[in-house]
Amino acid sequence: MAEDVQVQSDVTITGSAKARTLHLKTLRKQWQIITLQIIATAALIGMYLEVVSTYVVGTIDHTILFSSIESLIGDDLPLGDWFTGEGRTGLSRFFVPLAIGLIVGGLMALVAYQTPKTQQRLKLGFIITLITLLVGRLILGWLTGMIFSFDIRLPDDGELQTLEWPLLMIMSLLIMFVYLLPIIMGSRGIWGLSKKSIAWAIGFTLLFLGIHAILTFPLIKSQLGDYGGALATLESQISQPTIGLFGVKLVTSEQFGLILIAVLILVFQESAFGVIKYLEYAFRLPESCKRDPEYVKQMDNMLNTHLMHTFGFLGLTGVATMVALGFHSVLLSLVSDTTGSQWAGQVSESIELSLTYGLVISAVMFLSFMALFRYLIPWQRIWGFTYSLRNNTSSAVEKPEKEFIEFQT
Amino acid sequence: MWTRKAAFTFTGGIALILIGMMISNNQMMILGLALIAFIVVNSWISGHGDVEVQRTLSADNLYKGDDLYVELLITNRSNRKTQLLEVYDNIPHEMKLRSGLNQMRLNLSPGESARIRYVLRCPLRGHYSIGPVSLRSRNTFNLGVEEMFVDHHSDIVIFPQIKEVEEAFLRSRTPKMYTGATTLRTPGQGSEFYSLREYVPGDPFKNINWKAYARTGELMVNEKCRDAVTDLYLLIDSRDIARIGTVLKNPLEMSTVSAASLAAFFLKRRDSVALGIYGEKLSYLPPDTGDKQYFKILSALAGVSAKGEMPLQAVTNSLSGRFSRGSPVFVISSCEGDGTVPAAVRDLVGRGHEVTVLSPSSIDFERLVSRIPRMSYEVLKLERQNRLTTLAGSGAQVIDWMPDMDLSQALMQVRGY
Repeated sequence: MAEDVQVQSDVTITGSAKARTLHLKTLRKQWQIITLQIIATAALIGMYLEVVSTYVVGTIDHTILFSSIESLIGDDLPLGDWFTGEGRTGLSRFFVPLAIGLIVGGLMALVAYQTPKTQQRLKLGFIITLITLLVGRLILGWLTGMIFSFDIRLPDDGELQTLEWPLLMIMSLLIMFVYLLPIIMGSRGIWGLSKKSIAWAIGFTLLFLGIHAILTFPLIKSQLGDYGGALATLESQISQPTIGLFGVKLVTSEQFGLILIAVLILVFQESAFGVIKYLEYAFRLPESCKRDPEYVKQMDNMLNTHLMHTFGFLGLTGVATMVALGFHSVLLSLVSDTTGSQWAGQVSESIELSLTYGLVISAVMFLSFMALFRYLIPWQRIWGFTYSLRNNTSSAVEKPEKEFIEFQT
Repeated sequence: MWTRKAAFTFTGGIALILIGMMISNNQMMILGLALIAFIVVNSWISGHGDVEVQRTLSADNLYKGDDLYVELLITNRSNRKTQLLEVYDNIPHEMKLRSGLNQMRLNLSPGESARIRYVLRCPLRGHYSIGPVSLRSRNTFNLGVEEMFVDHHSDIVIFPQIKEVEEAFLRSRTPKMYTGATTLRTPGQGSEFYSLREYVPGDPFKNINWKAYARTGELMVNEKCRDAVTDLYLLIDSRDIARIGTVLKNPLEMSTVSAASLAAFFLKRRDSVALGIYGEKLSYLPPDTGDKQYFKILSALAGVSAKGEMPLQAVTNSLSGRFSRGSPVFVISSCEGDGTVPAAVRDLVGRGHEVTVLSPSSIDFERLVSRIPRMSYEVLKLERQNRLTTLAGSGAQVIDWMPDMDLSQALMQVRGY
């Protein structure tokens, strides 16, 4: 018995083989981790573009704000149109800012990996640049003016006007930062492994949706006058469903957009937090475990499962939400087909249904049925059966031994 | 069972649906429905596959301070994946992880196995059990968690450490033949002839065989067969008072180490050793020899804990009838809080036993954990000295054993007894 037990080790036959380890340096380059990060980034971009195209573009986007400011000051803002997207139409206004937001987020992530000393220097450099940008020209002009005129005086109007450009520049950048906050913080969180940044990105998006929802509430919207009129509202339920599954039309295109936002938020959240969760686990492992092929193998298993479930379960979540939203029409058509009464038609046109109560009740009913399926259908057995068919393992079979032979140290 | 995240998601989903209904906002309702759908879809997978756990230990018995190598083999015997499974092997809190980790997160396919290997340091003697194995399964998105355990235990005995005892320190003053003594077929001090050998400087002249010298012209000496001391009796004080000091350094720990070392030494010499442990009750292991007896003694010492108030007199009263006449008796006790020790020792000496009292200095152990004023310490120390002097006056060999003193060093105090 005693001779069966060996010390944990990554010693190989040659003594020089490089076994994969769970050190962060190695793990960060692993394809599953990078794939999860790419999925999270894609979900973040998708979510942002979907939110922007639904609620912001053409109503409260930054180009409209910049135009208003420019007309107010009677001059162009320092940020170029290529940067802000002014002059473009629709969603294309956001393409360049989006790319810049991703780059800024990526740079912030890169800074997060530097040593505290380097980080401090970079931050100091940024602050000094900002101060120089803000008051550099003023001080230079004012001081040289005083030196040449041999006079001590306050800055004149011409010199104070040099403050205008930097102030407008900083204001423009701040506005862009607010618009791009989810993208900047999200990309920083994904690639810089910061839970706080990811929470900021999700929180800011939800906050925006919440504020927008409150402002578009008819009672409040009417109080906002012209400003309220500019806010985009969705009449998603009243139009006819156009998107569905297997020939059954379930949701309107507006509803589909909203479902997409919800699912993309979930994909972003689960992928981004998932990466951090697995890396944290690997980081906390003792050195001997990081080198142990068993731990490496199980980390692979966990990451592969996470990837599969990200597609499988979150895709199913989207489908389930779609079906839940279209379930009332399925029920009504069922009643109409089976009883032949006009009651179903009357109900489908009723104000209660269009005002959400019926819709929500039927959707929740559908989800409750789905929850009950857990007890009615042996999903785990089915999946186990399909798994065994796929892997041709009808019975539990011991897998071959490890790839490395270990020696007792 | 739902996790906190699932509860928040569900509550958030319901709240969003209700608020969305109140303010007729589709986005909120749909987000809420999506959150509920997320939970519902994830609830379809719960629990884990049928997992089999097998633990292998590098040894069933170890000495205090040794390392124990543990390997846990987890096999998925079912036809489904295990999901995210956290395996945690429960180890006694007295043992410390030296290398590896006693837990792993895994996700096993059907028939797949994983091995957890770790090394434990066993700094305390005793009878221990490793296990059960705790399992916690979660789904990928951490929405549901189930905890259970596999009731798989592995027992292990940690024996007290064995210290080297030098022959010279424990040599009898005079070879004696006791009742039931047998001559051993090993050279040593005794009465029967064993063999002739060449003279080496230091051999006593009385051992020179002059006839052999006359015959061969070379100095030869007679070697004798060693007489077995036969029965040696070890009495260990495991009363409550013996726990004074730290977990690793206290009179009881030192007593077990010394008893184990002495037993090992005498048993190696093929003597018979008996063990009496008194505290809450008296447990007595009759004298015997050999590896089996050695194992019995070590097992008994591994399980000793400080309890009770039994006086030494009660022990000697009940056991003295069983002691072989004239055999040596080792009393390993701090002699604190027991007024019967002098009488008991006097009684044993009176019966012809050669009594040695090995006394760990409990005052000095107490100093390791609490501050004793210098004056009080001096007084207590003086009292102890008086007590030991009384014992010495009774005819016993007395060893005052300080905490930082090695066993061999302590035994030197009675060199040549």
